[in-house]
Amino acid sequence: MKNKLIISLIAGLFLFSGTAKADIDATKAEDFVKDVTREGVVEIINSNASQAERNARFEKLFNSSLDLKFIGQFVLGRYWKTATEQQREEFIDVYRKLNVKTWSKRFDEFKGKEFIFKGTSPSSSPEQIFVNTIVPMDQAEPASVVWRVRQKGNDMKVVDIIIENVSLAITARNEYSAFIKKSPDGVDGLIADLKTKLNQE
Amino acid sequence: MKHYITAIALLCTISTQALASDDSWLESYNRAMFDFNMNVDKYVLKPVAKGYRAITTQDIRNRVTSFVSNVNEPVSTINHTLQGSFKKTLVSAARFAINSTLGLAGTFDVADGWGLKKSETGFDNTLAYYCVPDGPFIMVPFFGPFTIRSGVGYAADSVSTPIYWGALNDKNYSAKITYGYAALDAINSRERSLDLLDDLQRNSVDFYSTVRSAYLQNRQKMTSLCKSAGTAPSYDFDFDDEDYED
Repeated sequence: MKNKLIISLIAGLFLFSGTAKADIDATKAEDFVKDVTREGVVEIINSNASQAERNARFEKLFNSSLDLKFIGQFVLGRYWKTATEQQREEFIDVYRKLNVKTWSKRFDEFKGKEFIFKGTSPSSSPEQIFVNTIVPMDQAEPASVVWRVRQKGNDMKVVDIIIENVSLAITARNEYSAFIKKSPDGVDGLIADLKTKLNQE
Repeated sequence: MKHYITAIALLCTISTQALASDDSWLESYNRAMFDFNMNVDKYVLKPVAKGYRAITTQDIRNRVTSFVSNVNEPVSTINHTLQGSFKKTLVSAARFAINSTLGLAGTFDVADGWGLKKSETGFDNTLAYYCVPDGPFIMVPFFGPFTIRSGVGYAADSVSTPIYWGALNDKNYSAKITYGYAALDAINSRERSLDLLDDLQRNSVDFYSTVRSAYLQNRQKMTSLCKSAGTAPSYDFDFDDEDYED
């Protein structure tokens, strides 16, 4: 009886870890990014809709495709653990809005461009994968754009975009950590500064 | 020539290892120089770049970019050879010959249309190929961000262009040739980055940290040139799910 219990426990442990560490489906991840780029470039940037309509469509795509809570936690780094619940909520909210604002403009750079898919690469986390793309540029070699995709259950979300080897998540984390270190108001100072950036034209 | 490269690579390795890549001890100097460069940019380079944009058409600027790119083509030719890529050396040499003649002094990239695609490289890449470490991040007045290795690479590239050889052969006009070309290159590059840099600066809470982080990450892609380096991409940082709350 005792042996059976131990075997059941070990089996249960393996089953559990097997589920937790399930490898992400590479084909599904690539298809997911294809959908995101198609919607972003073809249906938003290249469309003839008004700027306000394009911004609204972009915000919807941004919110549904990116795991901003996950990214926000990484970006705030060690300060996430010490932040209060209110600071966390405020930070995620302003970070999301600022990213929607900046990226709806920056994505215009991809107008008329096409993402060429170059397969996937494994990441150090089994639930995440890199989807590799290149974008042909005018008067320059093609730009590399890598999408870090995370699978949670059946849901896929982008958790980082790496343009020419520059990770947006790492860059924001370095920038925000440096700011908080210098700011006498810490995380509150960062939130206040991001709000100012959000409200300026 | 090979011994010369080996000696420089060895010298760079020793100096960059001695200085290590940790640049925290340079931060206050770097930040001061960054502020200085930002002021030079604000009051000189950016207004000139905006003026250049105002008085030229996109097509003229494309021709200038193509000309500057062609002037730098021999740098790629030399460095593809140093990296042992003989096919790329031949393509690069052919590109320079074709574009300098049929492409009207490089203002048109005729070779690209013939399937001879540009593959840019420089002495910095060659040093990376021989696994020379990058060294600390240094903000250089008037020139911007560098590491020890990129600084050595930049200096070597500067003396490998036809502009430098041309200036050597014509003492009367050498200063006009080199400074004229340097000014054209700087203004053209700045004009191309006007919108992106404005956007980054406007949305950044600590612009120095943004520039430093992006510059160093971008350089990490050269790590793959060194055969003995690992194959994991530099951006595969620890993004462990277990640390995060959903």
